[in-house]
Amino acid sequence: MSADGAPKFREDVLEAISNAPGVSGGEEAVRAILAGYARDKVDSLEVDPMGSLVARIAPRGNGSSKRGPHVMLCAHMDEVGLMVTAVEKEGRLRFRRVGGIDPRILPGQVFRVGAEGIRAVVGALPPHLLPRPEREKVTAPDDLYLDIGARSREEAEERVSVGSYAVFDTTYEAWGTTRKGKAFDDRAGCAVLASLIQRRPPLPVTAVWSVQEEVGLRGAAAAARRVQPDLAIVLEGTASGEAPGSPAEEQYPYMGRGPALTVQDRSLMVHARLLDVIEETAKRRRVPTQWKRPGVGGTDAGRIAISGSGVPSAVVSVVCRYIHAPAAYLDVRDTQRAVSLIWHTLDTLRKEWP
Amino acid sequence: MASNGDRTCADWLRTITSLPGVPGHEEATARELMKAFRTVADRVERDRMGSVYAWIEGTGKAPRPRALLAAHMDKIGFLVRAIEPGGFLRITEVGGFDSRTLPGKEVTVHSAPPMAAVFATRPPHLQKRGESDRPIPLEELYLDTGRPEREVRRKVPIGTMVTLRQTPVELLGDRLAAPGMDDRAGVVVLLRTLALLRVKRPAWDVVAVATVEEEFGMFCLGARTAAETLAPDLGIAIDVSHGDMPGTREGDTVPLGSGPALSIGGNIHPWILEDLQRSAKALSMPYRVEPCPMGSGTDAMDIQIASEGVPTAVMGIPCRYMHTGVETVEPRDVDRCAHLLAHYLSELAPEWRAVEVLK
Amino acid sequence: MSSRASHLDSLLPALSGAYGPPGREAGIRAALRRAVRGLGTAREDALGNVHLHVGGKGPRLLLSAHMDAPGIIVTRVDSSGLARLSILGPMSATDWIGAVVHLNGVEQHGVIGWDRPKESKDSREIEADALYLETGLGVKQAPKKIPVGTVGALHDRAEKLGDLWCGGNLDNRAGCAAIVAALRGTRGLKNDLHVVFSAQSDLGARGAMTSAFGIEPDAAVVLDVAFVGESRGGDIALGKGPCVGLKEEGFLPHPAALDLVKRAAKAARVSFQWLIRESSGSDARAVRASRSGVPTALVAIPARKTGGPRVLVNAGDLEKTVTLLRGIVTTSYTGTRGSK
Repeated sequence: MSADGAPKFREDVLEAISNAPGVSGGEEAVRAILAGYARDKVDSLEVDPMGSLVARIAPRGNGSSKRGPHVMLCAHMDEVGLMVTAVEKEGRLRFRRVGGIDPRILPGQVFRVGAEGIRAVVGALPPHLLPRPEREKVTAPDDLYLDIGARSREEAEERVSVGSYAVFDTTYEAWGTTRKGKAFDDRAGCAVLASLIQRRPPLPVTAVWSVQEEVGLRGAAAAARRVQPDLAIVLEGTASGEAPGSPAEEQYPYMGRGPALTVQDRSLMVHARLLDVIEETAKRRRVPTQWKRPGVGGTDAGRIAISGSGVPSAVVSVVCRYIHAPAAYLDVRDTQRAVSLIWHTLDTLRKEWP
Repeated sequence: MASNGDRTCADWLRTITSLPGVPGHEEATARELMKAFRTVADRVERDRMGSVYAWIEGTGKAPRPRALLAAHMDKIGFLVRAIEPGGFLRITEVGGFDSRTLPGKEVTVHSAPPMAAVFATRPPHLQKRGESDRPIPLEELYLDTGRPEREVRRKVPIGTMVTLRQTPVELLGDRLAAPGMDDRAGVVVLLRTLALLRVKRPAWDVVAVATVEEEFGMFCLGARTAAETLAPDLGIAIDVSHGDMPGTREGDTVPLGSGPALSIGGNIHPWILEDLQRSAKALSMPYRVEPCPMGSGTDAMDIQIASEGVPTAVMGIPCRYMHTGVETVEPRDVDRCAHLLAHYLSELAPEWRAVEVLK
Repeated sequence: MSSRASHLDSLLPALSGAYGPPGREAGIRAALRRAVRGLGTAREDALGNVHLHVGGKGPRLLLSAHMDAPGIIVTRVDSSGLARLSILGPMSATDWIGAVVHLNGVEQHGVIGWDRPKESKDSREIEADALYLETGLGVKQAPKKIPVGTVGALHDRAEKLGDLWCGGNLDNRAGCAAIVAALRGTRGLKNDLHVVFSAQSDLGARGAMTSAFGIEPDAAVVLDVAFVGESRGGDIALGKGPCVGLKEEGFLPHPAALDLVKRAAKAARVSFQWLIRESSGSDARAVRASRSGVPTALVAIPARKTGGPRVLVNAGDLEKTVTLLRGIVTTSYTGTRGSK
């Protein structure tokens, strides 16, 4: 239990799922870890037809007859990565990106391919062999390849195949309050959600660890129709605005200054009343919060809000540096703050919603 | 030597690709397809958005699970947007064309009765210098029916459908080229699959859906609404995949004659893919695995997220020169797709579901 | 004839002046609920749509118009007390220059200016970053009174300029006004009529999606505004009557719904123009994809941009639209009912 009575953030879960591979469409390993962890903490647990993990939790008795709204808490399991599209006869692997990856981070990057995580490098021609004009251009991903050291197609196909996924070869590390790892967007949200289910909530909760958010918010669309909640809160890992050289007022949100609340992004306008409830809870419970930059990005909340006849939805994010890149950073105090904020918000919702 | 099944597919392909039916204007085509489906299905009906449903009743005990097979019946084409002095027609596209493939091509304007027309061009000796270096954008192209303006104004309302006019061309190796292989070849797979299933009935109910409006807009309207109406327990989309062509790279295409292309990626449920591969091996049938990292771009995209989620797969027919008047396939691949689907469906256990209850 | 005219003369200024940017439509919601009092049973849903069940016997017909109008949202306050913005909806940055805005309802006003580039060459298209919001609050008060996330809307009331209506927010308050005017005093409904004033259209037809889901109509007619200059070849014009959609981004009309509109136009003797626009869309693409699908047609009031916040609509076109809408609700829909 944390200092303010909320469940404690489970860093062990974050480390395990950050290290595990789970590109959009291939989330099995991450789902297995979360399913194993959740099983004894929830009343029902199932995998839906798209692969999302859905857990239902009945509320603890609270003496009053007021049941409170059915809340869907959602975080996405998938990360951006690569898919092997061809195995060439010399043993090189051609690939395409899955989700948004800046092509400039690819040359020289190390990946882990397939379920066994065989290591692969993205080769880049050495500068000595390149004419100057070539060095001033960004290499198109179509011209890059993964090298696992194989000498022939046959040798390569013993270890990987067309359709194998590749993830950044990053290992979780900690120093001070900083944590480094891959896929904090959105393993941070997944771990916050996992932490929340350690205790029975004050109102009915369905926890959804969704699939394929990075390729079009797909898993949440189907999950929302299955769950049919009264309202939804999505837990995300979002980009910080910190960058040396830009004006101070442009650098928000900041790693280490608390969860970021969304007002509006490209996928939704957050429900005004729900946002008020979250903000007031944060003030009352002294959880520092900040605003997410309006108008950028999209989340599962965008799909959940328009499912069925509409669901009031909000987004609470852990601010991370360098999302969609091999090594992201977060501040572990922010993850605990996110757990506390949501935990206490559930209480407020039980008392005050609608 | 083409087998009986191949010959049936080749005949079907010739007939079915010749039907008109652009996005939003599938009515007449749907009626013809219903006639065709009635020769192979137990029951045929249409939903109100225009998609055609053809049913094969399963042998299992009621309530039976339901498999949805989808192929889109719309093919890309145009609508008349304006009539100019001289009786020339301006058009807008429905579906994605490369306007560079159009100058000089013959079309059918589907007025009552239909008229032939051609995309106008200027002979090289009358062109300005450099003119032929510049592709003509769609809004600058126009059609010439060869008829007087008053006749055109009387007979061709704004909004009339226009399709490419090209009789199917037989090439060497039994290959066939025609406009509309995308996705009438898929519709032929549905017809052939139902014919096979009628003889060897599956436990599941199977509903083959010829969907509307796959080629238009940001999602597949017919597939999406049919999946909501039918609430299937699994869905398979049959569409065309890019066939081998010079200038493309490995991993982006599937060679003609190499059998069905089975997609892999987020849009595909791994259990269905495994079972399809198992069926292919049991039939000693060649096939390819087609990578789809960012979705399949087919009806399966909308079927998968319909309602509470549907496990889906995608089967591709290798096809060269997509979205031109000479889309080229091998009837043998079309027949293989049908056999593979029929085998997979007849092996599908009545209890198979993609929802895993862990607790 | 004159009673209809007087409806629009009071409706359009009132509705166009109500506060209602996408996702924060409380002001226009209240104005519409006042305007439709007595016309049916009204309620609101989770996304903020206003549902009005007018009633009648026959197929369930949905008539829908979006009530949100473009807005802005504050992304930061810079070191001189000027707020920087992101735009909500399809209005381009250039169109916002000089606009007077209300923030968070009517708590705060401001005017939008732009950082004119130092080079003399005039740039026609600018980015939202080049806009600023001046509230006169000064560098100390501004970050407190208009923090990040403050939403604002164009503050304007439509007025008559000869035979034109001129104002901000005519997209789509003109559509809302036309529906209200059409409902007043109309008898002999031939369908079970549901009207929805939808929210968050300018964020991607969001309210329209959820409202159609709940109603499950047999057919729908969406009413919106279409601007001259949105077609790549051949175009609509002011003064030629309402537009009927033949094709727009993501939408093709369903033959049965289009037939309803054509029959209504013939019976009401309203001549219309065909609308084809490749890269603009309306709520129609969302309504028709709801659940098992809804046969849908689009009617659009032609409008002209001025390069600034105000747009122009021909008063005669608006009257004809009202006449057409009356025709639509008093004509039976004859397409199939139910999903098959």
